[in-house]
Amino acid sequence: MNFDINEVLFQMTDAIKQNVAENWDEVKTPANNFLQNRKERYTLLADLLINNEISQPRFDSRMEDEKLIAEAEFHAIAVISKAIAQKAANAAIDIFQNAVKAAITVAT
Amino acid sequence: MKTVLLNRSLALFFLGLFFGISGCKITLVPSYDAQLKEQIESTSKEIDRFYLNMMDMTSNAEGGRAYDQFREGYINIEVELLSLLNKNKVRPLNTHSTRICEITLQIWRKYKQEHKEDDAIPDGLIKLNMLAMNDLMYAMLIAEKGKAIADNPPN
Repeated sequence: MNFDINEVLFQMTDAIKQNVAENWDEVKTPANNFLQNRKERYTLLADLLINNEISQPRFDSRMEDEKLIAEAEFHAIAVISKAIAQKAANAAIDIFQNAVKAAITVAT
Repeated sequence: MKTVLLNRSLALFFLGLFFGISGCKITLVPSYDAQLKEQIESTSKEIDRFYLNMMDMTSNAEGGRAYDQFREGYINIEVELLSLLNKNKVRPLNTHSTRICEITLQIWRKYKQEHKEDDAIPDGLIKLNMLAMNDLMYAMLIAEKGKAIADNPPN
C-alpha cells in the first residue's frame, strides 16, 4: 500500500503554515487600522477635556466605552483568526483525504 | 504484544480512513453573507450621513441641535442596528459578530440618551461619536468579510 504517514503529515503541516502565512495580512491590516482609529479618538477625547468641551464624568464614561469598542475589535480579529484556522485545517484534511484515496486506488 | 500493536495500527488506519473519505470538514465560523455585508455598509453610510448633517447643517444656537430634530434619524439607525443584530443572532457559530452588534447597539442607544438628556451636542462630541461608531461598524464589516477567508478554497 502506497501510504507514507510521515510524508502526509509533512505535507499537512506545510499546508497549515502556508495558509496561515498567506492570510496573515488579513489580521495585520485591520489590527493596525483599529490602533490608528483608537489613537485618533484618544487625541480628540483629550482635546475635548482640555478645552472644557466635555465634563470629567463624560470623559470617564467615554473611556468606559473604549473598553467595549476594544472588545468589539478583538471579536472581529477572532473571526478572522478562526476563518484562517478553518481554512488551514481543511487544507490539511484535504491532503490526508487525497493521500488515503490514492492509497486505496493503488491497493484495489 | 505484537497482536495488540497490530490491532492498534489497524484501528488507527481505519479511523484515518473513515475521516479521510467521509468528507470531514472543520467549521469554526459561519459562511460569508454578502447581503449582510451590504447592509453593514449601508448602515455605516447612514450613520456617517446622520452625524455629518448634524455637524454641517445645524448648530447649538437657538435649539438647532435639540434632540427632537434628530429623533427620527436616531430611530431609523437603531432599527437597522437591531436588524443586523437579529440577523447575526440566528446564525450558528456566530457569537463574535453577534457580540459586536450588541456592543454597537448599546453604544448607539447611550449616545442617543445623552443627546436626549442634554438636548444639545457640541461639534467635538459629534466627531467623537462618529469616530466611535465608525470603528464599531468597521469591526462588524471586518468580521463579516473575514468569514470569506474560510469559504475560499484552501491553498
